[in-house]
Amino acid sequence: MPEATFLDSTELVLNMGPQHPSTHGVLRVILKLDGEKVLGTDCVVGYLHRGIEKIAENRTWAQFNPYVDRFDYVAAVSNGLAYCLAVEKLLNAEVPPRAQAVRVILTELNRIGSHLLWLGTHALDIGAITPVFYTFREREESLKILEKYCGARLTTHAFRIGGLQFETYDGFEKDVLAFCDLFLPKVDEYEELLTNNRIWIGRLQNVGILTGEECKEYGVTGPVLRAAGVKWDIRKAMPYSGYEKYDFEIPIRANGDTYDRYIVRMQEMRQSVRIIRQAVEGLPAGPILGRVAKVLKPPVGEAYVSIEAPKGELGFYVVSDGGPQPYRVRVRPPSFINLQALDRMVRGMLIADVVAVIGTLDIVLGEVDR
Amino acid sequence: MAATPWESDLVQQLKEQFGESLLEASSYVGQNFIIAKPDVVTSLIEYLKFEADFDYLVDLTAVDWPKRAERFDLVYILYSFARNERIRIKTRIPEGYRPASVVRAHRTANWLEREIFDMFGIEFEGHPDLRRILMPEDWQGHPLRKDYTVLQQDDRWVHENLGIEKGQ
Amino acid sequence: MMPPLLRKVLLVDLFEGLRVTFRSQNPKNIYTEQYPAERPKVAERYRGAPRLMKDENGKTICNACGACALACPEQLIVVGSIRNPETKKKELTTYTFDLSRCMFCGMCQDACPSDAIKLTQDFELATYSREGLIWDRQMLEDGPKPKQYKC
Repeated sequence: MPEATFLDSTELVLNMGPQHPSTHGVLRVILKLDGEKVLGTDCVVGYLHRGIEKIAENRTWAQFNPYVDRFDYVAAVSNGLAYCLAVEKLLNAEVPPRAQAVRVILTELNRIGSHLLWLGTHALDIGAITPVFYTFREREESLKILEKYCGARLTTHAFRIGGLQFETYDGFEKDVLAFCDLFLPKVDEYEELLTNNRIWIGRLQNVGILTGEECKEYGVTGPVLRAAGVKWDIRKAMPYSGYEKYDFEIPIRANGDTYDRYIVRMQEMRQSVRIIRQAVEGLPAGPILGRVAKVLKPPVGEAYVSIEAPKGELGFYVVSDGGPQPYRVRVRPPSFINLQALDRMVRGMLIADVVAVIGTLDIVLGEVDR
Repeated sequence: MAATPWESDLVQQLKEQFGESLLEASSYVGQNFIIAKPDVVTSLIEYLKFEADFDYLVDLTAVDWPKRAERFDLVYILYSFARNERIRIKTRIPEGYRPASVVRAHRTANWLEREIFDMFGIEFEGHPDLRRILMPEDWQGHPLRKDYTVLQQDDRWVHENLGIEKGQ
Repeated sequence: MMPPLLRKVLLVDLFEGLRVTFRSQNPKNIYTEQYPAERPKVAERYRGAPRLMKDENGKTICNACGACALACPEQLIVVGSIRNPETKKKELTTYTFDLSRCMFCGMCQDACPSDAIKLTQDFELATYSREGLIWDRQMLEDGPKPKQYKC
């Protein structure tokens, strides 16, 4: 904790307060500065703590499903997928293949949406104001598909334990393929705006370097780990929900700085389109809800299931005591654990680089604070 | 829990190293876990990191079983990149016990242990900076314990800092 | 291709970016919707304002089973009923829905066995007071009628 400063010291303690346009939510960072160089940081989180893990102990398993969207509210569908997979593991329930394929399509669509929001807001923090309009325009198209499917854009509650609630609407495949065709040229447009731009390169290269070894030590996962050179993606390492059937690549880069993370996320968006196209082409017919009881009472036990969310490894550790309500639901939040590495990444950088690094970690305060 | 016993080379190695302190090694729904005695957990985790390549601490959490004598269940989830395997280490600790911190082996544990202290009141020995992380600094009470109800709040804090009578 | 030094001096990369921006100045590419003049058409399955459905005779379909009240995660539905002595079935008397705590998850809609409660496409639900958001049966059957101003 920074102590009180004396008047003749060269160290300045500055508060980058909870109300700040660039901290992506209510995050408070206390900076210890020497002029403009950062000597150390201290993150104060908890401004958005809603006690969702405590609420889980007072709802039934199926009633907790709508709350799960509120963790990472930018990509709500991934949270729903992780929770449903965890409870299905406890119940040993079989999800029909059609439900698995539709889950994959919606999750990848949401991954694209999340990366688009990241790109827009990150560019806005750095100072490039145009990309945010373009990325939100594309995100709007993906949110329209989600709205037509389940009725809500942001807090979707799209999946149920055992499969899906809604059958896909007429024209779902057409809409999704139209989105893919519309979207790929737009990624080229964003790259034309940013990738070779000297201002962008100057702001992002060699800023916030985190090597592969440090990533593993700090437990950082997701695009940050892949930009540091570690080729690891849960979709390939421990596949879930039918991902082993699809053919896609894992983009990695070597340096581990902010520019590499930008490139990794752009490539991930292209790979997501590839997965979506394969999933839509091979969409099997069949039931959408597996055989689960009306009142869910998983046997006594516990399970940990994690998925590759857009932000990193999102895991759910569920403990059941045989009753209709969960005994303990623990969320392994990728943004919380990635945020720990902030201190390591900004030593010796300028304040503007702190803003760039917070943006590149892609944190969502709903997940950090739960 | 209908857990099946788990036999493997790793379990053999650990049994040779730690002997009686390893209480159980089982598997449930395909996920392997080990129950160990609380005083040996830190060395077990360091052994797993340096000898068995489990170099990534995925999560560290606690579960409250108030009716048991050993009230809390500390759960460490580790993953090995080289082996592509995940393992859970569980230990049962009574209230008031101060487990050793694993921050020196895995730096992720810094904020994770702070969160357990905040939510459950379990203090970690050897942690560099143990203070509340999600709740305000001067909050009394540990929210995720089972005797703390869903609607309960620290009325003194609410009154002092927010100026209202009650939070509900 | 221009040599790198010339590209650097003549700001070629910045002009490429500007070309993208100027291309979208075309009035064909305007994406903004002028709300409230043109209201957005939301999807058929949109989870908006709850409504109690009536059949063609104007009688309410709800049979006061209480499944929606049990399913709601926030427990904000209160169903009042009396038992009709002739038909021995429950009949609905009062139905209270607290919209201020509703998170529009749709679990009441999923749980209803007779499709009596549905979340419709109305999204303009603002009121001037907290009490205005606690809807009774009348409000739920008629639906919200937001005041439309001439713009």
